[in-house]
Amino acid sequence: MSDIRDAINLISVFIVPVILVAFPLVGLYKRVPVYETFVEGAKEGFQVAVRIIPYLVAILFAIAMFRASGAMDFLARALAPLLSLIGVPPEVLPMAIIRPLTGSGSAGIVVDMIKQYGEDSILVKMAAVMFGSTETTFYVIAVYFGAVNIRKTRHAVPVGLLADGAAMLAAVWTVRLLFG
Amino acid sequence: MLNYIWAGLIVSSFLFALGYDANDLARDTFRNGQALPVALAFPQGYDTARQVPVEIRIDPSRYATFYGSHAEPAAGPAASYSGYLVRSREGVQLRFGADARLPEPLATIAKASSSRDKELQGRLVEFAPPEASPTPDSAAAPTPRVSTAGVVFEPVRFVRLNAIAAAALDFAKTAAEIALGLIGVLSLFLGLLKIGEQAGIIYALVKLVRPVLRPLFPEIPPDHPALGLIALNITANWFGLGNAATPFGIKAMEELQKLNRSTDTASNAMVMLLAINTAGVQLVPPVLLLALLGLQINRLVLPIIGTGVLGLVVAISAAKLLGRLPVYRASDPNR
Repeated sequence: MSDIRDAINLISVFIVPVILVAFPLVGLYKRVPVYETFVEGAKEGFQVAVRIIPYLVAILFAIAMFRASGAMDFLARALAPLLSLIGVPPEVLPMAIIRPLTGSGSAGIVVDMIKQYGEDSILVKMAAVMFGSTETTFYVIAVYFGAVNIRKTRHAVPVGLLADGAAMLAAVWTVRLLFG
Repeated sequence: MLNYIWAGLIVSSFLFALGYDANDLARDTFRNGQALPVALAFPQGYDTARQVPVEIRIDPSRYATFYGSHAEPAAGPAASYSGYLVRSREGVQLRFGADARLPEPLATIAKASSSRDKELQGRLVEFAPPEASPTPDSAAAPTPRVSTAGVVFEPVRFVRLNAIAAAALDFAKTAAEIALGLIGVLSLFLGLLKIGEQAGIIYALVKLVRPVLRPLFPEIPPDHPALGLIALNITANWFGLGNAATPFGIKAMEELQKLNRSTDTASNAMVMLLAINTAGVQLVPPVLLLALLGLQINRLVLPIIGTGVLGLVVAISAAKLLGRLPVYRASDPNR
């Protein structure tokens, strides 16, 4: 098992350096004017970043308002009895709600929970697995669709939320099974 | 869907903020205009200078009765706070030090305060100043003189409404900063990708991953570079290289947009790419968890990978199945 983990870690260390070196090297071999081509491609970086701005502003300000208004806490309290029926402790609910919305916010929740329950507690383990196995769905949607000016996202949001929900439930149950 | 969620977030924020604030007003949570009893000690003696350092003592039981149920029973006031008195034409002002760790609701009052440095400040009433202390060179160590007073804080209203407005402005700025912060990394990888395109690396990659990715993206022509970019994006994501994954994903989206007949509506292939990206498979545990949990993370690696893969399976199935619903089939731009 630890061999596999070592291998994975090794690969992750090498990916970026290999790309950085291999692309220009192969380019040279294929007689591509590498420097000029690089600059040509890199020019796009600025436009892409600027194109994303309106989409990110739209998503992030709405989420920030929602958090500041106290609606998030209310939602967590209101949903608690419902979710405890399917084995989700109310303490990890804020994590489940915030995770698709903001990465830094959900990281803050892990920190809070470690302070409150101790890093050995099963609640922190649940939150950590939830954090590690899901993504900030709304941020990803804003950035990727924003980059190509897509405004009608069709089923992208429900798909992302379904996947998050399934992974969150699985995280809670798996941790309970392994450490409960 | 995004329209409703977005509007829902904004409208519900406003309603909740309004509700909480109305509740605060009705219950007078902050005791606006009333005087909180405090005891003031003057460690350096009391004089009539403009600014006098003072030690503020709040009796926990009187604090609890004053604020009623709004005071947190667990976190009462500390034994004493350092602060200072400021004399002005309007009277004597009591200011708490900026670093004071205040209990609720004082912390909220301090945050809502209009003072520049967010010091908690209030007007002193019923303040009987102690007699001017003896000169410092007197033989006996000066015992701090204590006098009682009441302190009336600035009235606090509509805390949440102010908070949501501040949060919206703040995060609008953050969003722009995040996007602009991406410029460097985006440029770097978009430049490399251009070389990769011209040198045929992307094309070689397409041939490699075609058997796996083709079934997920049936709309993409077999030799299209999008498949290679998607493969790069997925690899970077799974190995925890978010910085590299984003430029690859964006480039892949641009290629998919070239195949899309609509300028503003997502194609099925785009939704599938998003599905794979929003399901967070992480073979390498996030650096942040490693930093927070230390070696404990070792026991969580397998559960994290397992639930991530399950999320991915759900995401792919949902993208395929929801795409067949009449609503989404009707909105498919490439139908």
